[in-house]
Amino acid sequence: MSKSTILSGTDLSKKYGDLEVVKGVSLAVNEGEFVCLVGKSGCGKTTLLSLLSGLEKPTKGKVTLDGREITASSEDELALFRRDNVGFIFQSFNLIPTLSAWENVALPLFPIKMTNEERRRRATELLGKMELGHRIEHLPSALSGGEKQRVAIARALVNNPRIIFADEPTGNLDSSTGEAIMGILNRLHRDEGVAILMVTHEDELAKTANRLIRMKDGEIMS
Amino acid sequence: MNLRYMVKELYYQKRRTLMSILGLSIGIALLIILNALSLAYRQAAHVPLREIGADITVQRSGDVPKDLAGAVFPCSAVTIRKEEVEKIEKLPGVRGIGTGLLLWVFDPNRAWIVLGIGKENSIGPSLLRSSVTEGRFLEDGKLEALVEVAYARQFGISLNDTISVADKKFPVVGFVDASRAPKIALANVYLPLKEAEDLAASSKELQSVSPYAPGDVNLLFIKADQEKITGLASEMKAILGSKATVATPDSFLKLLGSLFALSDKFTLAASLIAIIVAVLIAFKTMAGNIAERAREIGVLKAVGWTHRNVVAQLMAESVIQCFLAGILGLLIALVASFGLSFMKVNIPIPWEMSPTPHFLPGGGDQIFKTLRLPVHIPWTLASFAVLLSIIIGGMTGGLLGRHISRIKPSEVLRHE
Repeated sequence: MSKSTILSGTDLSKKYGDLEVVKGVSLAVNEGEFVCLVGKSGCGKTTLLSLLSGLEKPTKGKVTLDGREITASSEDELALFRRDNVGFIFQSFNLIPTLSAWENVALPLFPIKMTNEERRRRATELLGKMELGHRIEHLPSALSGGEKQRVAIARALVNNPRIIFADEPTGNLDSSTGEAIMGILNRLHRDEGVAILMVTHEDELAKTANRLIRMKDGEIMS
Repeated sequence: MNLRYMVKELYYQKRRTLMSILGLSIGIALLIILNALSLAYRQAAHVPLREIGADITVQRSGDVPKDLAGAVFPCSAVTIRKEEVEKIEKLPGVRGIGTGLLLWVFDPNRAWIVLGIGKENSIGPSLLRSSVTEGRFLEDGKLEALVEVAYARQFGISLNDTISVADKKFPVVGFVDASRAPKIALANVYLPLKEAEDLAASSKELQSVSPYAPGDVNLLFIKADQEKITGLASEMKAILGSKATVATPDSFLKLLGSLFALSDKFTLAASLIAIIVAVLIAFKTMAGNIAERAREIGVLKAVGWTHRNVVAQLMAESVIQCFLAGILGLLIALVASFGLSFMKVNIPIPWEMSPTPHFLPGGGDQIFKTLRLPVHIPWTLASFAVLLSIIIGGMTGGLLGRHISRIKPSEVLRHE
């Protein structure tokens, strides 16, 4: 593994019963790289993302994230690892409906010993960067789709991750809002040097990435 | 555990929170009310004896003479010998004894129920002192009598009149209102114990069926350690034989006949049912609530919450909801107990404890002590109920939290 590789998956397979969703996939993501995983629905993109991010364990193969092999780690070890090194952006935002925008951003910090003021300061700063400084006290129900996704991006960044996993981040948004979100992701990658592994089925969006990986029937095609 | 998250979750999910709190509070209220009622009946059962300053009364049944003339003992209260009284006095747990001598006196033109009072003793009928409505209470070494006010009215007896009981003259120095007096050992005429002893000792009819010597009595009023009452009752029966009648709060409780009064087992069983109902309600509503939040739990785990973080958060929410349910249950129980405290309870006084010859007016009537049911919630019961709510909350939240926190984030976070 080269020094600049932040994430690598080797010979990864995932089976659900008799159905093999990911079949012997190997890939690597370098530091600061923006990689897009494209393919049709059901080709195994999201499952591969889950394997690489430690949300799910592979049936076979191993995952190394930031120099540490995570495949054999316990659930709690993985959770702590994700808290310190990884950010997630989901298609359906997955914000907590009872928490305000800043509290949703600070959600990964809640189990960490720090003052509430510090959590709020960090969350507010990130929301400011997402141009949501005026919406920090709003509940998700009062936010538009684009605003919700920007809150989710801020949440993904709150722990200063080395890599962000984004699963169809524009899938629930109209095209112009989607473009804006992509703009934010590109800026993050370009200005902050955060590595991004994004899953999408839209080739247009994937064109902005440094590298494109195509998947079909659980295998990498190119 | 994050307090802000917990408060917001409970506040914004009002319907969910209220349903959980209401459900459990009903179970907790039920538990408190059942126990408060049981306690109230127990306390009510103490009243007839407490009114006469005693925890136990002792009598012995026997025979009445064939010819009812002069002074005789009622068949429910014959001689208890001085030696027997001394033995009882020495029993561990006995804190004091009051004595009385109850007589039926059949004069040619009138029948009297006479009670001789050891007036210096604070246990027993000397408590009548507070029921004197006119005149004064008996004084030491004087040949004098108190008369029950209704009886005096019926037979035209006035203050300072002289009445003749078994050929002995007694000036009436006061009237006693029986309606204000204890319902046990009621009489028409109250005499100093020494005078009643003389009447008993000089009565041939009485001596023929129940030998009597001065110093003997036929009523005992006993103060005892509360926790030893049941054991003492058995020991007293052993001293006095099979014909002894020993009345305790428990024996009055049995007379009440209510389910709550019947046994501790009923209250225990009902309480257990209430607790089980409370636990089931808490478990069912919380399980529903937590199942609805599977996706949210998945998010928490994805962003780095450990199993322990998730369990602690859910447990804290559950404990707070159950604590609030405990407080609400307590408030409901307080309101209910206030309403129930207006309920009246009639405690039957056994004829043996206040015997009137059957052929006299009212002789066969059942006497009742009527009182408001003293329903109240002791702080120990209130604390127990709230503590139980917290424990139920901790257990429910802990168990359900452990279960739900095992879900894999990838399973619940896949986009639709």
